[in-house]
Amino acid sequence: MTVTPTAPGAGATPPPRPPAPAGSAARPLPSPFVALVGYTLRGCLPARRWWGVLLPCLGAVLFGWLGTLADTTPQRVFAFVAEQGLFGLVLPLTCLIIGDAVLGADLRAGTFSFTWLSPVRFPTIVLARWLGGWLVALVTLVPALVLATLVAGVPEGAGPMAIAAVSASAAYLGLFVMIGAMARRSAVWSLAVVFLGERLLGGVLSGIAQISPMWEAQQVYAGLVDTGGARLVRDGTPNGWSAVVRLATILVITLVLASWRLGRLKPTAGDE
Amino acid sequence: MTAPSDEAAAAAAPAPPSPPVPAPGSAPPRSPAAEPDGDGDTPLPAPPPPPPAGPSQAARPAGPPATLDPAFVTDATVTVQRASVWFGHKVALTELSCSFGPGVTGLLGPNGAGKTTLMRAVVGLLPLNEGTVRVLGHDPHRNRDVQRSLAMVPEDEAVPPALTARQLVRYTAALHRVADREAPDRCLGTVGLLDVADRRVGGFSKGMRQRAKIAAALVAEPRVLVLDEPLNGADPVQRVALIDLFRALGDQGRTVIVSSHVLHEVERLASRQIVVVRGRLAAAGQHHAIRDALADRPRSVLVRTPGARELAARLVGLDVVRGVTVDGQSVVVSSLRAGELAALLPRVAREADARLLDVRPLDDSLESVFRELLR
Repeated sequence: MTVTPTAPGAGATPPPRPPAPAGSAARPLPSPFVALVGYTLRGCLPARRWWGVLLPCLGAVLFGWLGTLADTTPQRVFAFVAEQGLFGLVLPLTCLIIGDAVLGADLRAGTFSFTWLSPVRFPTIVLARWLGGWLVALVTLVPALVLATLVAGVPEGAGPMAIAAVSASAAYLGLFVMIGAMARRSAVWSLAVVFLGERLLGGVLSGIAQISPMWEAQQVYAGLVDTGGARLVRDGTPNGWSAVVRLATILVITLVLASWRLGRLKPTAGDE
Repeated sequence: MTAPSDEAAAAAAPAPPSPPVPAPGSAPPRSPAAEPDGDGDTPLPAPPPPPPAGPSQAARPAGPPATLDPAFVTDATVTVQRASVWFGHKVALTELSCSFGPGVTGLLGPNGAGKTTLMRAVVGLLPLNEGTVRVLGHDPHRNRDVQRSLAMVPEDEAVPPALTARQLVRYTAALHRVADREAPDRCLGTVGLLDVADRRVGGFSKGMRQRAKIAAALVAEPRVLVLDEPLNGADPVQRVALIDLFRALGDQGRTVIVSSHVLHEVERLASRQIVVVRGRLAAAGQHHAIRDALADRPRSVLVRTPGARELAARLVGLDVVRGVTVDGQSVVVSSLRAGELAALLPRVAREADARLLDVRPLDDSLESVFRELLR
């Protein structure tokens, strides 16, 4: 900045040039993409959000422990636990908390204008925000789900669970970023999509299940592991690696829609 | 001193007319084509200002050619043409046309007048329902590249609470690909926040938040800087310093658009004002000139003199005086022709043997201009 410095408190008298920057100030400025990811991790996910993420992860481990209490094969019990507790509750809730934070909450708070008022392209913004959220999911949700599998006594399910968690969290976060860009009350809409759309309608309509990260995550796991006789695979729905491809497709479509929507957005002020 | 002071009387005279202004309280001036059409029904909309620079001229500031319309400047960097914005049934802007050029321009208007809407439209945060906004020849809502030259300090207090002031400014700098790694700290120093740069902005006072946002806005060295109530929450010392800062930015040739409710500060800050009332352009130009344009309304001059009654008795007989009020040593003179009154006052005071202690216009401030325009 070449403006004559006039620090408040010094009146019109120009203060001395600020001292040589130290610490973080001395570091070179990151690229816009890295800055966006860093902002997502620091600015969008304050301490309260982190607790909101960690609590369901703790719940996932408890679900795994519950699986050891039943008097049947661990594979079979854990298949039910995974269907109802992990894929039906922990996965969507954790992703919702993260996904709403990375865009929807920023928009609602009125702080998204700091990002919008920049020359960065919308797809870059969406991709960086999604990546920031996904990194959080990779270090919290995925280990928690894998740990739940191990606690339940199904070590052979750890790999498939990790694949399911990684791919499903990616798709879920894409979905919630898209909802954040499209709806002002994104958290409410996200909850409605999960519990009314996916759980209720997706439970009876395979057409919904085919585009549901919740159901597709379950199909990834069910297709890659022996579930001990528990029938988790749904007819007419891709499973195993095909479900991973389906989740990747969902991710791409949601990110494209979010980028498109961001260009038509009217970012509001925080008090509007 | 017993003789009346000519200097004091001269102070009561209106400032020499500067740029012409539109009729107060009206929409942008209309050309004959804007008069009611042949059917005598709906008047045609206000004429568009001269077109902005075309694509081939994008590199230089767009704007209309030299014009007498005070709503426009010849070297415009921001051009607003027939801008209309509505939210449902609520109309925020109605066919507002104006332009902004290098220097500081004050944007004035009461609450709900449409100032913030106009500013958000200028930076592209808000698309227009009708009309166009061009910043350096480009649509700021659609063209991301023009954001390199734009910055805004919004009025609301929203800041990412988990970030420190330094992180916030570095974030903005990184998004704008600022090459100078020291720029963030320099800007924090400019607004006096370097000492608290590593504190989270969520714990800042309102004034400190505003200054953090100003630092973030300055870091990319924008050519067009839009400041929505930037002095909110600042203490008096900070206000003075920030006003000096904004003036310095304007003097550098940047386009600085400032809205404020503190009118006397805008008087100090901006040489040119745009007044928006109920979503329409009410007036534009220097505030003295705007005030002069309200020539059909009486202007008041306060005269303090020990011989108030004698002076008042002589003043009531003058043609230029519409009314006189005496209160102790004060005489408030109302006149439609303030210039003539200023010329006559010393002579009348001498005749009344009234020593003039103080002579000043009561309604030459922006606040009074504002009140007049709102009538």
